Amino acid sequence: MTARLKLAGQLVALACVAGLLSLLVWRLTHQQHAPKVGATAPAFTLRRLDGGGTVSLAALRGKPVVLNFWASWCIPCKTESKALEQAWTEYKGKGVAFLGVDFHDVTGDAKRFVASHALTFPMVQDGSGDVTGSYGITQVPETYVLDRRGNVLLHLAGPITDPAFASEFRQGLRRAVRS
Amino acid sequence: MSVRLLAVAAVALAFAGPAAAACAHPKTSLTYLEGQVMCPTCHTTLDQSDAPAALRIERFIQQRIDQCATADEIRSELVANFGAGILAAPPRKGFDLLAWWLPIAGVLGGAALLGVGVWRWSRTREGDATPPEPGLDPDEERRLDDLLARLD
Repeated sequence: MTARLKLAGQLVALACVAGLLSLLVWRLTHQQHAPKVGATAPAFTLRRLDGGGTVSLAALRGKPVVLNFWASWCIPCKTESKALEQAWTEYKGKGVAFLGVDFHDVTGDAKRFVASHALTFPMVQDGSGDVTGSYGITQVPETYVLDRRGNVLLHLAGPITDPAFASEFRQGLRRAVRS
Repeated sequence: MSVRLLAVAAVALAFAGPAAAACAHPKTSLTYLEGQVMCPTCHTTLDQSDAPAALRIERFIQQRIDQCATADEIRSELVANFGAGILAAPPRKGFDLLAWWLPIAGVLGGAALLGVGVWRWSRTREGDATPPEPGLDPDEERRLDDLLARLD
C-alpha cells in the first residue's frame, strides 16, 4: 500500500514537472518576433476605426503597403502624424496603400486623435494587441513598408520623422513603388 | 400670470439638471475598477501603473462612471475595446474556467495528501508505542532455569 502510494505521488510529481517544462518550451517556441526584412508580413483582418467594416492585409496584395502602428497616448505619434499624412498625400496616386494600426487604445481617444491631426488614410484598431504582437511591436510608433507581394521591405522602430529614419523611409517608399 | 409661469419653469429647470445627473443605481468607483483592469502595455493592474495607456483607460473609466455606467457595463466596454485580456481575472467560462478550478483542485489535493500522510504517521506512532515483547528461545529458557536452580 505504502509503495503504491509512493509510486502514485512520484508519478504526480513527474507529471507536474513535465507539464511545467512543456509550458516553458511552448512559451519559448511561441515568442513573437518582428518579421525580418524579406519575410512575409503576418496576415490580419482588423475592424476599421470609423466602424465601417474590416480591412484585411490580404486584400491589399498587389499594392505596396505602409503599415504604421500608433496609439493616441503616444507622444512621438503626434509628431510624426503630419509627415505620414504628407507621405500618404504624395504616394496614394502612385498606388501605395497606407494603413494606420491603432493599438491598446480607447476607441474614442483614437478617433479624436485622427480628427485632431486631420489624418485621412484608413485606420484600423487592434484593441487586444494580437496583431501588433505578431509584428513584434515593442513601442509606438513603428512603421513597416511592404512590397507588392506582401514581403517586408523596411521596418522602422521609431517615428519616421526621426533624423535616422526620414531618408530611409523615403527610400523604402520608392523601392516599394518599384517592387 | 406669465411671469409666475416663467418663474416656476426656471425653478423646475434648476432642479432638473442635478436630478438628471443623479444615477438610478449606486455609482461604482475608479478605485474599485482599477484593481480589476490591466494596463495593456505594462501588464499590471491600472492601480499599479502610471503608463500613458493606463492613464487613458482610467480617464475613460472615470468618464463612464460620471455618465452613470455600471461596473459591468464598463467592464464589457473595455473587453469589447481591448479583448478579454484587459480584465485582471480570467472569464468564468470555457477553457478559462481552468484558471479558477485548478488552484481549488490543487488545494484540495494537497489537503488530501496531507490528511493521508498524517493518518499514516499517526498509525505508525501507535504501532511504536506497544512494541511486541520478545520471547525467550528454548535455549535461553533452559539457561535461565539453570541459573535460578543454582540460586535456590
